[in-house]
Order: sequence, then C-alpha cells, then structure tokens
Amino acid sequence: MDPVAPPDLAAALDSMWTKFLPELRERVAILEEANTALATGTLSVELRAKANAAAHKLAGVLGTFGLTRGTVLAREAEIVYSGEPDTDPVEAAHLQEIAAGLQAVLASRK
Amino acid sequence: MLQNESSGVSGVAHRILIIDDEEDIREVAALSLETVAGWDVMKASSGAQGLACAIEYQPEAILLDVMMPGMDGPSTFHELRKNPATAHIPVLLLTAKVQASDQRRFADLGVDAVLFKPFDPMTLSTQIAGVLGWN
Repeated sequence: MDPVAPPDLAAALDSMWTKFLPELRERVAILEEANTALATGTLSVELRAKANAAAHKLAGVLGTFGLTRGTVLAREAEIVYSGEPDTDPVEAAHLQEIAAGLQAVLASRK
Repeated sequence: MLQNESSGVSGVAHRILIIDDEEDIREVAALSLETVAGWDVMKASSGAQGLACAIEYQPEAILLDVMMPGMDGPSTFHELRKNPATAHIPVLLLTAKVQASDQRRFADLGVDAVLFKPFDPMTLSTQIAGVLGWN
C-alpha cells in the first residue's frame, strides 16, 4: 500500500483490518493445523484443500493491507499445499516457519 | 449480498460492480474505488448474484474474482457474455494466481484485462481506468 494514502482511506483501511483480523487469524490457524497433520502423517485431502484455499486467500489480501511479506509467505504455503506435500521433517519444519512468519506479520500491523 | 453504494464526487462517478466471494477483498476494493476515485460501487458475493446485479444495474465495468465456490470467475464471465443484457460490459478478472500458465488461461478467456491480488488500494482505480480508457 502506498505509504501516503490519504487519511480517510488509511483510517478506513485500519478499521477494515481490525474487522477482518479474526478471519485472517483463522486462515493461519488452518495452515498450522495442516502443518501439524502433515508432520504427523495424518493430513487428509480435505484439510490439504482447506490449507491451500487459506494460503491462497492470505496471499491475495495481506499485500493489500501493505503486508507484502505476508503475501510472499502465503504464496510459499499455497505452492506446497496445491500439490502433494512431502511428509519429510524438513518440509514440515519449513511450513511451521511460514506459519510462524504469518503470525508475526499479522501481529506487526496495528 | 447485493449492495449499491454511492460515494465521493471527485471526477466522473463511474459505476462498477465487484464480484468476489471474499468479503475482505470485496470491501477493501470497494473502499478504494469509492474513496480514491469517487466511483459508485456495487458488490456481489457470488457469480450468480453478480450476474443478477449486472443485469439490473448495468455497471460500466465488472471486477470479477477468479476463484469462487459454485460459479467461478470464468463461468460467470461466460454467462455475462452469453446474456445480451450484459455482453457489452467490460470485465476485468481479479486473481491471486501468479503462475504463467494461469495467466495465459485467463487472457485466453477474452476478458478485457487481468488484474492481480494483492492490489494497491491507492492505485486500483488508476489501473482500472487505464485499462478502460477512463483517464
């Protein structure tokens, strides 16, 4: 987002951020749930699809709120969950790092 | 959801319809177009609602999400083009898909433009106006 957004737009975006933050957190929670399932070898097709959709939505919206890093992280998760994720520990750890990064991104915007 | 919201008065108040199932994207896009450009924005949360809204309100352009449950963006676009009441309305796809194969597929649909999420709320209206020659 342009850092010189007019005050009325900036204020309205802040208000929308507050409104939609719970939904954004839910999407990250879905990723965390899928990551845990992947790490334990219990990831279902349904949960993988939910994680893919959650990552896709996060990628689309976070940058709109000025959180470009969030879009980059979410796209990484989307790429993984759009296919058949490897069940190896390295992949699982990487996905956990992405989810933690997304939590940090959400916390960074006031 | 079907809403018609008039807003600011700066410049020409173009009439645009946003069809997106994601409320956050729909609301931010509407806010952007209303606040920055002063356009009249209508919103629909599904392809079916968007089609009905387009027929009734005759927007000057439609901003159409690609991935929606039920009737997705491409299907909605085909329905819009099939209907004589909406066939003439320019359609701009809005997508978070960034892979080249997806982009080619969208361009091949025959839409007027493909715009990408995330968008900048400050410049979204400029992007749309540029594509549609509204400058």
